[in-house]
Amino acid sequence: MLVAKTHVDFMGRKKYFFALSGALVAISILALLVKGLTFGVDFQGGTSMALTDAAGVTTEDVRGALEEAGVPDTANATIQPTDDGGYIVRTAESDTARAQEAFAAVVESLGLPEQDANVTTIGPGWGKSVTDASLIALAVSMVAIVIYISLRFEFKMSVSAVVALLHDAIIVLGVYAVSGREVTPNTIAAVLTILGYSLYDTIVVFHRIRENAAGLRKMSFMEMTNESINQVLMRWVNTGLIQVIPVLALFFFGGETLQDFAFAMAVGLLAAAYSTVGLASPLYAMLKEREPKFQALKRKYAAQAPR
Amino acid sequence: MKFKPTNTLALVALAALMALSAWLFLPIEEKITQGLDIKGGLSVTLTAEPLSGDELTEDTMGRIETILAERVNGFGVSEATVQRQGQSAFLVQLPGVKNAQEALELLGEPGKLEFVDMTSITDTATIELIARQLEAEYSDETTTLPKLDEGGYSAFMTGEVITDARITTDDFGNPAVSVEMNSAGAQTWGEVTSRLAPFQGQVMIALDGYAKSAPAVQTAILDGNTLISGSFTVEEARGLAATLQSGAVPANIDIDESRVVGPTLGKESLNQGLMAGLVGVALVAVFMIVYYRGLGLVSVVALFAYGVLMMGSLAILSRMNAFALTLPGIAGLILGIGVAADTSILIFERLQEEIDSGKTHRSAAKAAVRHAIATSIDADIVTLVSAVALYVLAIGPVRGFAFTLILGIVIDLIAALLFTGPVVRMLAEGAMVKAPAFWGVKGGDARG
Repeated sequence: MLVAKTHVDFMGRKKYFFALSGALVAISILALLVKGLTFGVDFQGGTSMALTDAAGVTTEDVRGALEEAGVPDTANATIQPTDDGGYIVRTAESDTARAQEAFAAVVESLGLPEQDANVTTIGPGWGKSVTDASLIALAVSMVAIVIYISLRFEFKMSVSAVVALLHDAIIVLGVYAVSGREVTPNTIAAVLTILGYSLYDTIVVFHRIRENAAGLRKMSFMEMTNESINQVLMRWVNTGLIQVIPVLALFFFGGETLQDFAFAMAVGLLAAAYSTVGLASPLYAMLKEREPKFQALKRKYAAQAPR
Repeated sequence: MKFKPTNTLALVALAALMALSAWLFLPIEEKITQGLDIKGGLSVTLTAEPLSGDELTEDTMGRIETILAERVNGFGVSEATVQRQGQSAFLVQLPGVKNAQEALELLGEPGKLEFVDMTSITDTATIELIARQLEAEYSDETTTLPKLDEGGYSAFMTGEVITDARITTDDFGNPAVSVEMNSAGAQTWGEVTSRLAPFQGQVMIALDGYAKSAPAVQTAILDGNTLISGSFTVEEARGLAATLQSGAVPANIDIDESRVVGPTLGKESLNQGLMAGLVGVALVAVFMIVYYRGLGLVSVVALFAYGVLMMGSLAILSRMNAFALTLPGIAGLILGIGVAADTSILIFERLQEEIDSGKTHRSAAKAAVRHAIATSIDADIVTLVSAVALYVLAIGPVRGFAFTLILGIVIDLIAALLFTGPVVRMLAEGAMVKAPAFWGVKGGDARG
């Protein structure tokens, strides 16, 4: 295969990784606190409707038509032009039947050609119920993951994996806060699923570490961890690429709803790939090196291994 | 290339599974159910809120479900569904519904169960419509008949008086429905039945303006405890009991969320999703072939097998009404491309490593497949654990996404066990030794 055996000293740079992770998490938390997340119509309650074939119609015309149709709080309605000469209109209307009426009235008063209705109306409680249910699901799945990894591998691995997972989640949310992208239930779905999926490459690395730890001699645990990462490096790079490629295709070709998923997934995958090497592995090695058996190895071999 | 029985067997099994899948899912647009966000239509989430002081019991939820199902039938839409979601919510899906406004108003109304003295109806059009509705009620088809005109009849009693209704058997062991009512109901019921009994007049029971049953009164019933019997099938009796139970639902039903998607937008989204999927597969294929050469080709075939099995499974689930392809589902499927290619990468990388360590191709292939699939299973299980938790506990779009991902992981393992593994082992028997450059493996022991 194309790449020769590598010997990158990942663990030697763990301080930089930790600093980077710390900075990213700090920035994310700061952005979340200062700027906050922009929640979509699903969280605030309200109506989103799509108008098509609206060439020659201005946003003010649309606002006027909304007003005329009796839609509440039209001054704060967002009216976004779309690429194909239409508009996406978001209003505070939370009654589904009235929203349908308003749509018909707006189409008529703007003199738009007859068109399919694409109207979404969300009651104020919907976003909250989706989020609450998702958070419960997240909590349960984390507990389940900890139990599984603890049984199949060991507790210290599950702690490292879950810390990395939380780190990824905070960074994804941070990216949303910084970019101001709208958070929808789809976003939450994508992030949650990606978090589970992101453990895939962490487990691949842990598998190798465990295999190598079985006959560990003449090397500190930290070095062995570094060795393990190097052994599975191309696997890590290639699986990461292969995961991101289809998601990027989705982002560029998928249309509005699917783009929403793709963005969250892409950010989640990248964060997850990084945290496997930058956070989960060194953290696990540090936890292991506190064990007396590996402390001895560390004292004996760590100093004499300049790479 | 020597064919070992287990390898050959695996490939034959896979070929059979793929043929079965293809037979199941072609033509694809008919065999795989499309969700509302693709097909177009109205999707509504309703939540039930108990009236003050009452608890939202299982019984109440069941009654509301009956009411919603009855109303949805009334819209005359094929494939309309009512699904329970979580503790207190229902998802109602009406594909292709044109008049969303009317449908929404109807869904949100409280249920109206009425008892009408048939002899009091004089309007002939109403009498005729009742007859047709009753006929439709006992056929399985979805009715497209209009509602009864409220001016055409008047009810002597409404559903609130019903305290219980359940399926039972009459003296001859035939299916029947027993009804209990409160004292006010029993009094009215006593008066009406006393009047109708001498000539066995009929009482029509209507739900939301649709005649459900019109039993003839045999005797005056003074205590309210009524047995409705006749030539029911068990199914019909159960349906009538459910109708009667729906009479008094101690809850308000609110519309929480509604989405109307036009058929053009849905079609467009589907095409964009398919486009993204094709581009994604093509790029992954190019990457795999450039990087892994001949083995890359093997993984592309594995990806194809994965896709065929996936579609076959979706077709089976569609047939069982357990699946509809939504946009979140498409996103999950596209993520699945990565899942499927990952396993191949694990096998190929391990193979190279084993060859580098000085093993013969044959033993390297055996060890690589065994180790890589073991790693893959562990990684898959962790992913599965979280996907299953999401699927079971979450509501809304999370579920469609988690579902396709779960399916993807399982099918990926099947493809690895039945295809990639056996093929790599078979190639290592000869082809790989003769042309290591083409298969993208360096070194190794030429004695193979």
